[in-house]
Amino acid sequence: MGAAGAIRAESESEVGKVEMKPPITETQAGTPEATPVAKGRAAKTLDAREVNLFYGDFQAVEDVTMTVEPNKVTALIGSSGCGKTTFLRSLNRMHELNTGARVEGSIQLDGQDIYGSKVDPVQVRRLIGMVFQQPNPFPTMSVYDNVAAGLNLNAGRVKKSEKDEVVERSLRGAHLWNEVKDRLDKPGSGLSGGQQQRLCIARAIAVEPEVLLMDEPCSALDPVATLAIEDLIGELKSKYTIAIVTHNMQQASRASDITAFFNLEETGKPGRLVEIGPTEKIFTSPEKQATEDYVSGRFG
Amino acid sequence: MPGTVRVEYQEELDRLESSALGGLDLVSTALSRTLEAVEHQDVELAQVVVADDDRIDGRYLEVHQALITLLATQSPVATDLRLISALLHVLKNIERMGDQCVNVCKLIPLTGNEPPSDQEMVKLILTMGGQTRTLISQAKRAFEDRDIELAQDLVRQDDVVDNLNRECFRLALELGDDADRREWAMTMLLGARAIERIGDNAVDIGEQVAFVVTGLFQEFEDASHPA
Repeated sequence: MGAAGAIRAESESEVGKVEMKPPITETQAGTPEATPVAKGRAAKTLDAREVNLFYGDFQAVEDVTMTVEPNKVTALIGSSGCGKTTFLRSLNRMHELNTGARVEGSIQLDGQDIYGSKVDPVQVRRLIGMVFQQPNPFPTMSVYDNVAAGLNLNAGRVKKSEKDEVVERSLRGAHLWNEVKDRLDKPGSGLSGGQQQRLCIARAIAVEPEVLLMDEPCSALDPVATLAIEDLIGELKSKYTIAIVTHNMQQASRASDITAFFNLEETGKPGRLVEIGPTEKIFTSPEKQATEDYVSGRFG
Repeated sequence: MPGTVRVEYQEELDRLESSALGGLDLVSTALSRTLEAVEHQDVELAQVVVADDDRIDGRYLEVHQALITLLATQSPVATDLRLISALLHVLKNIERMGDQCVNVCKLIPLTGNEPPSDQEMVKLILTMGGQTRTLISQAKRAFEDRDIELAQDLVRQDDVVDNLNRECFRLALELGDDADRREWAMTMLLGARAIERIGDNAVDIGEQVAFVVTGLFQEFEDASHPA
């Protein structure tokens, strides 16, 4: 047998013991190095402490304490209804837009309470941008106006030349410039799904936020567009703090540095943070059995 | 709820584990025959061991391929991923153990029909082989039961094999001036060395047990940095 013969020949030539390198320990394997921060601009830390979230009488999220670290991608995973999206939406004060919604606990952006009594929620949402599951460009606006929309809202009148510059920079940042530079005046809704999602990312980064929140940004996209967005996320983390909710476990393992697993004991109970840690650790040797069952796909 | 989904995947993983560990039974049989061939200078039996090694290699190739397929199609993570990684190592260990039996068996015809053998040395080698067989079955049980203590105990058992190997070396040195006898002793030393390596492979399997259970790989004994 050819192949087996080859195996044996190799073994016979073995002389002496093959010494192994020193044991690989958890700490040596370590977490991925943070990407260097872009010059002149430091991404910020988002700190949630004992956060409880309610829809009227119903408590959706219970006692979540976790940090979304700068220049890293933090993935929030967990089955449907576990509160991960609700939690994400509390991070830029979008949760309170629901009728009867309530937030307890504290969420701080680099030490500043985003729920402080004098803080303007609109300003919070400018600093902490959100990209949604369904690409939602303003359908009647051109590609150009879609990207510039946030500028107009946030900064009052902006000179055309400045606006041109921001639009180009944002579209380049979202890896979309080359595909749309010749049709900036065409409607944003005419782009493909993947392009529309990158357009929404360009719109989000045009206002230079500190943090980008993404709620299942690829679930409506095909695999190639998904990988393009994941690559983009990997690049954006050099400038921003990123948190992403995903149902796709492979996406969490590919695209994130930190993974947080949310779960709920049973339907009707609030979701809780079960475990958070380096993505590599969560997907190779998680601490909690519930995490193990979920990432292994053993949860029905 | 755990256990209610991915049933076929779980069954396949269980099947592959038992098939891979079954390779240790094949090695155990090969080692028994090897020792018998050494004891009786049985060239025919030695040839059977050499030919039968294809079964061990076949097991390696078959299970290895199936594990790669599982990796490609099922995206295993966490304990499953560690188990598959460990099984890939264990398969390689098993394949090597089989080759070491072949190495011993290939030496037997070299010593001639009526070798100037020293019964004390033959006895030592047979004792080594018996102890090594114990290590093989202990490694298998430790893996099946995910028993780290039993796995770590392999080091202690392997020390017995190592000491017997040194004893063989000492005997060979004292065997006198006769050239034929010295040549026989040298050949037998190579055989003892091969058996000693089988013990080392069993210890390596024990290290994989610890990896599956804890997620940390650590050599039980670091030969390059002895304590």
